[in-house]
Amino acid sequence: MGNLAMNAKHEIKPGTSSTLKLWIFALLAAFMVGGYFIIERLFTGLSATNLSSITPWGAWIAFYIFFVGLSAGSFLLSTLIYVFGMEEYERIGKAALFTAIVCMIVALTFVLMDLGRPERLLNAIIYWNVTSPLAWEVHFYLVYIVLLTAELYIAMREDLVRAAKKNSMKGIVARLITFKNSTINAATKKRDHTLMKVLGTLGIPIAILGVHGGTGTIFALVKARPGWNTALFPIIFVISAMVSGTALLLAMYIIKKKAAKQPIDKEMVQSLSKMMAGFLIIDLGLQFYEYLVGWYGLETEHLDTLATMMASDVSWSFWGVQMFFGAFIPLIIVFWKKTNQNINALLAAAVLIVIGIIGVRFNIVVPPLVVPVFHELPWGQYFPSVKEWMVSIGVVAMGLLIYTFGEMILPIEDISDEVNEHAK
Amino acid sequence: MALFSNNENKPKDYEKMLDHILPDPKTELDDSPYSTGLGMNMARDARKVINGKMKIDEFHKVYSSSLTKEFGNSYAGGETENKKKGDGPKWVMVIDLRKCVGCDTCTVSCKAENRTPPGISYNVVMESLEGDFPNIKAVNLPRPCMQCDKPACAQVCPTRATYKMENGIVAVDHDRCIGCRYCIVACPYGARSYDFGDSYEQEMIGYNDVTSPEYGKERGPREKGKTPIGTVRKCSFCFHRLQRGEEPACVETCIGDARFFGDINDPNSTVSKLASSPRAFRLKEELGTQPSVIYLR
Repeated sequence: MGNLAMNAKHEIKPGTSSTLKLWIFALLAAFMVGGYFIIERLFTGLSATNLSSITPWGAWIAFYIFFVGLSAGSFLLSTLIYVFGMEEYERIGKAALFTAIVCMIVALTFVLMDLGRPERLLNAIIYWNVTSPLAWEVHFYLVYIVLLTAELYIAMREDLVRAAKKNSMKGIVARLITFKNSTINAATKKRDHTLMKVLGTLGIPIAILGVHGGTGTIFALVKARPGWNTALFPIIFVISAMVSGTALLLAMYIIKKKAAKQPIDKEMVQSLSKMMAGFLIIDLGLQFYEYLVGWYGLETEHLDTLATMMASDVSWSFWGVQMFFGAFIPLIIVFWKKTNQNINALLAAAVLIVIGIIGVRFNIVVPPLVVPVFHELPWGQYFPSVKEWMVSIGVVAMGLLIYTFGEMILPIEDISDEVNEHAK
Repeated sequence: MALFSNNENKPKDYEKMLDHILPDPKTELDDSPYSTGLGMNMARDARKVINGKMKIDEFHKVYSSSLTKEFGNSYAGGETENKKKGDGPKWVMVIDLRKCVGCDTCTVSCKAENRTPPGISYNVVMESLEGDFPNIKAVNLPRPCMQCDKPACAQVCPTRATYKMENGIVAVDHDRCIGCRYCIVACPYGARSYDFGDSYEQEMIGYNDVTSPEYGKERGPREKGKTPIGTVRKCSFCFHRLQRGEEPACVETCIGDARFFGDINDPNSTVSKLASSPRAFRLKEELGTQPSVIYLR
């Protein structure tokens, strides 16, 4: 405290960096192009997609569970800091919470895109069917977003109070949202700390059982699709959420620091990458049992599902994206002594894992829906249409824009001296 | 008609013409030995019942005392008492696979009756060959919606837009459905389809002008973005036909008389008897969905 000059040094100053300008310009362009297709989709309906009644879910649902996973993963990483006291990661604590919020917004936008009647979205709340996992999820998501917002606010409170004294954009926003609550002393520090712990503790079951385990439950409860209908499924969802969440935060941390030409905390990066690899290994182990049990059961439909995933003309997404680039290469990078000292290599590993998890999500959603429920019925043919990709780009660009602007007006990157002390 | 009426007859004009033809209710009722006022009042309220402004139970309640006074023992009373839950019919379909020749008439008549758009068939016939030549047999398995007693689709629907009716039919409320397609994913029989908004208008002029009054609801012409487009559709056992006392279209048109339709609650109905046959089985019974479509092998 009393060390404002020190803090200000770590800020990314909006408008000063040309990289940032270029980044925002590129995002705006992507959002405009995607936005055209989003609006077109809202008018033409789902005929813009390659979906059918045989394969009723596709890319947008895959992206939806991908972003829910990123959100749950980022949040759980933040609980390591705020609940379990792993202060060595505190540098990314607020970024983790904000990422979790933005990812939820993106995920829900994908759901909205995927609904046949988006204007009736609220029906899932008004006419809540208590036996429907999907209806429960919608409620969980809303509670979760509120909780995340509350937690982020408390995590930022001290920084907001400090920022409120400044005469920048951040200062104006900070003055708006600090209200009269602008004292920092030992008592408020303690109160904030306890509140963070309570909210984080509440959030853990909501994130694990509700948000991401629950999203896995949407699939696991479908008895008609043997490829999904296993008790291991929700657990795999949670673990892969941890994998992707850790990888995303790691990648974002390195990229942001590089872009802003700020020093990178190498020790934290290495320890995070170890954690990411650990989660990935657990995830692979669970997947192995999942496939083994399904395969050994010799049930025709289950075998067909596995064959669609692993031995069809789209199996490149399983062997290539999910297994080789999404798991094998990153694990080598993290554990091979020659590469795990190199920040760039670790960045590549993190990015590959995030992309690999996209493959995982597609392989969860699509193969069980390609196999028909009766052998006499036609097989599904699905590959996302150009419009589906464009809408996806638009929605992701929207999320990145929200994140970028959020970082401009909120003290998410600000690091208090306390954290610096912890890190030393 | 008036000079400036533009030569067009308005509904009011027709009413006037009708008034000329129809006998005056008051004079007619005066001729009868019974109360004129009561008759007029009942006629007025009966119109309300038809328009849906008054409930039939209420109608009976209002008039039962005066009717008993007027007609004495000959008055039979309303139907309020026997409207208890579970007393109505529970519809069941029986399909005799030995009689099915695989002609797909059911599929075609279903499409014609329900005017389903391209890509949607409430009923299909799944054809397969079993065994090796020369010991070969063809199996034709017609598949309408199973109208399960424990419907997986209704279980997962987030909005309760799809639900089990008392008469055993699994209905879709197209005005509530959000089009999430979870029910399509959850149906083990592939009996549900999403309405992408396609149309046969190119091949068949006027296709959009007429739609089927599914679940008894007239929706007018099929238009872009109008319900049921964007929602999930399925076989309703031709509920709109049942309401008029007709069998589902597939049952009526089956050339081999392979389909039977009736009330399983009535122990003397054909379907009740066929359902207890040793030949009877249901599809994917191991899933516990308890389908209302029974096959005879």
